[in-house]
Amino acid sequence: MIYKPQSALIIVGHGSTVNPDSSGPTFDHAEAISRRGVFGEVCCAFWKEEPSLRQVLHMVDADEIYVVPNFISEGYFTRTVIPRELELDGPITIRDGRTIKYCEPVGNHERMTELLLRRAAAVAPGVPPAETSLFIVGHGTDLNDNSAAAAKREVERIRERGGYAEVLNAYMEEAPLIADWDTLSTQPHVVVVPFFIADGLHSYQDIPVLLGIEEEPTTAASQREIFRKNPRSLRGRTLYYASAIGSEPLFAELILEQAEAFDLQHSTTPAF
Amino acid sequence: MLRLTQTLTQWLERGGAEIGELRIGAREKEFSLCHRDDAGREGLAVYHGAEAARALSNLDDHGAYRPLKTAPNLRHGWALFVSGVDALRRALDYFYPAMLGIWRSHELRALSPVPLRETLERQTGMYAVTRKITDRQAAAMIADFCRTDGGCLKRILWPLAEGIPIPALPAEKTEAFAPAIEMPMLCHEACNLLVARAREVVKSGDYLA
Repeated sequence: MIYKPQSALIIVGHGSTVNPDSSGPTFDHAEAISRRGVFGEVCCAFWKEEPSLRQVLHMVDADEIYVVPNFISEGYFTRTVIPRELELDGPITIRDGRTIKYCEPVGNHERMTELLLRRAAAVAPGVPPAETSLFIVGHGTDLNDNSAAAAKREVERIRERGGYAEVLNAYMEEAPLIADWDTLSTQPHVVVVPFFIADGLHSYQDIPVLLGIEEEPTTAASQREIFRKNPRSLRGRTLYYASAIGSEPLFAELILEQAEAFDLQHSTTPAF
Repeated sequence: MLRLTQTLTQWLERGGAEIGELRIGAREKEFSLCHRDDAGREGLAVYHGAEAARALSNLDDHGAYRPLKTAPNLRHGWALFVSGVDALRRALDYFYPAMLGIWRSHELRALSPVPLRETLERQTGMYAVTRKITDRQAAAMIADFCRTDGGCLKRILWPLAEGIPIPALPAEKTEAFAPAIEMPMLCHEACNLLVARAREVVKSGDYLA
């Protein structure tokens, strides 16, 4: 396991100017990693919140900095916004005596499949997978975003493992639409796991409306309630709705492993 | 000791006790933080540990979300106790993210303010349109959005464009110096909230007249 007490870890999230819960999981993972003492310094930085990507490098002392995007997929933010705002030259940037290592987004981690399965099992305890349709829900149609492809990739991996009667990908804004969950699926039990980083507007407000759980978007406060009402009997099925995968505490583990993987992939870099 | 923690220690030793709306009290290596309006007040809800600062800084007195932590709407009615300067540093980075580090960089002459035009020019996607804002619109938008009274407590160090200062800002809004008791909160580049506001201004035609 990685141990870098002289280095800093910066976890980059999207953040929100309207939703108070958006940055929560990113901060939670940072705190969990900080408590373990693996890195000398652990900070978060956001596109839409503070500290911003333009501020964060002033917050750390270390000369070696690992940057891990807490994003579900490669895309506009990981390829354009983050490198631009942090003024990165590539995977390794050396500037002012500092080395900045730009790691892969957490969503790319191969153990993501395992996390999705854990979340699905936890939300529907005792429900036989052989009688269950499992949905992995992504956003879809985002600007230069590959979240839809990432959701599809995870669905294929879960299918290969077997267990669930059917595993389906669905999206908010493109077909197959999650709003059609009852016609897309065939099993008596339906488990829906949002493939999102945080329980923000999409997983807390928009998807419940599309599923038919809520008639109109609710406010963000007391968000936990919506996930505690499982299961729901709806459209002749038993529906289980999980919170966003990014709130899974094991995400912290994957963030650390992305930093570790960076050094393995770039092993020509001298060890610090 | 990390250099940033050292900077904070030295600031405290020189009498530092205020940042933004926060008042910091020190006894040995124990620190108390509260809203400066609450200093000396009894009956405050007591919290312990730097991490409690995250929730305390997230919502205002009315329970509304504070997307801009340096806005003058820090919640009242609480007192936070932390042990050690490292924990104080972490707490301050929740209340006023990066403000210690940016002030330190400024003191070391290692802070390069970025002109607004430069910030807007490099925007892509939905914010690419912000480069169309006129100087006049930008000046009026900044005077409104960033005003200390109700907008943001940071002091603006960046110009409108290279060699073109922002007109009509009060002198103290662009002054980096502060008395020893206070750590000034410095803005070296327009934040995403202002860029987002610039997009609205361009789209709506606000401040054109």
